[in-house]
Amino acid sequence: MLHLKSHNLLIQKTLSEAIEANSNGTPLTLDRIVSDFDYTIFHISNQEGNKTILLLSIKTKAWVSIQKIDANNGLLPYLQSKYQPFAGISVSQSAEPGYDFTLVLDLASLTNESVVESSLLKTAILSFPFQLAFQESFELSKLPAPEDGSSIDSQKLYNIQNRDDEQFFIKASNDRVTVIFETIFQDETDKILGKVFLQEFVDARKRNRSIQSAPQVLVSNEPPLELQSFTSSRNPQNDASRRFITFVLFPRHFQTAELQHMSISQLTLFRNYFHYHIKCSKAYMHSRMRYRVDSFVKVLNRAKLDEDKDGLENDNQSTRRTITGRKMVY
Amino acid sequence: MSQSLRPYLNAVRYSLEAALTLRNFSSQEVERHNRPEVEVPNTSAELLLQPMHVSRNENEQVLIESSVNSVRVSIKVKQADEIEQILVHKFTRFLEQRAEAFQILRREPIQDFSISFLITNKHTETLKTDKLIDFIIEFMEEVDKEISEMKLFLNARARFVAEAYLGEFVY
Repeated sequence: MLHLKSHNLLIQKTLSEAIEANSNGTPLTLDRIVSDFDYTIFHISNQEGNKTILLLSIKTKAWVSIQKIDANNGLLPYLQSKYQPFAGISVSQSAEPGYDFTLVLDLASLTNESVVESSLLKTAILSFPFQLAFQESFELSKLPAPEDGSSIDSQKLYNIQNRDDEQFFIKASNDRVTVIFETIFQDETDKILGKVFLQEFVDARKRNRSIQSAPQVLVSNEPPLELQSFTSSRNPQNDASRRFITFVLFPRHFQTAELQHMSISQLTLFRNYFHYHIKCSKAYMHSRMRYRVDSFVKVLNRAKLDEDKDGLENDNQSTRRTITGRKMVY
Repeated sequence: MSQSLRPYLNAVRYSLEAALTLRNFSSQEVERHNRPEVEVPNTSAELLLQPMHVSRNENEQVLIESSVNSVRVSIKVKQADEIEQILVHKFTRFLEQRAEAFQILRREPIQDFSISFLITNKHTETLKTDKLIDFIIEFMEEVDKEISEMKLFLNARARFVAEAYLGEFVY
């Protein structure tokens, strides 16, 4: 499993089961909690008194900061317009208590496409600040370019706090969109393995010609210049292990809606992908060491005196046997 | 195997052969105790022999401390950078946690070394001494190989992962 998928498989499965059961005339009674990366929790349950209507609620760390981003409160209308075209999905005006956002799914009219879309709910929410930044970049690119070749930067810095002490930032310019991830490493080993991985992310584009059109990646220990205006709410305890990873998206990465969707779903999973592969290599090394220990033990066992053989060949006195040939133990 | 490794391992082998002449020896200080003299604070100088220090360079050394009934062999494994440091630390700790399978492995290395073995007269009586030396020599060879292989693997994996991720952005 090299790539992480942006849709949630368990939601898809649950919904397909529910649709299947509903079409057989025996709607399921559901009350299921599904979890996802970055402490995201989904809740799938029946609407009270009506088993053919499902509620899909999401609770995510990023919700509060995403809501704050747009002064006009554009998040809910954005999600509404995103889910409007799909059959059987409607946006609930008030979220289920304890959750941030709720979709109402009508099992009778749900299509395969809408099942996939509802499993992408987390990505859909996270895509809102990206969409704003892309929009802004388009507008800035229409302005006349400065003659000295510098770029026009947007005044806004979108800040999405998607974990307790980790966040990412998006900033638009006329010729690019910059996405900056901030990540911390739990322990020293992760930090050093992470360094190796990050270095490869930086170098990959230079080395491999076939991926030269990928976004540029930069890594630093200090906050990059783009974040200077941002007053930090960071926990200074983690500062030593904090890394900043900058992705520079060029217009070719967000030209069409489809490209935008692909870029966003890749980027929102970056932190998970990165940490996941650090853990994977640790696990691999562990199993490798286990194998190594076995082979060392084998070498050491060669040193053991084979007592049975020596006893028989050298002196028969030491091993006494019964009349049936069994060894006497005493 | 590189040219300079062979003489180093040979020196360790001959030193070990010389050191591994152990006999049973009861404690002179405590009644009915029989303990590895190299491990206990010792007032009687005649029980301890001169330690032997075989060194290839400052990162690769072997210290052989011998006494009348026990020998302590400490190995410093090459650690060129912080990745190797971590790998060596992980690997030796992994071995030490399984010390019961190794009989002669010490659960803690002595200071400044990566891993220590403690061979007592009990071991030389139940194990073939030359095979025991073979084990230590092979261990030293294999550990270096293992560490550099793991490091190569890590770099290769990091490269592959990064290219796979960025490859998704090529439209």
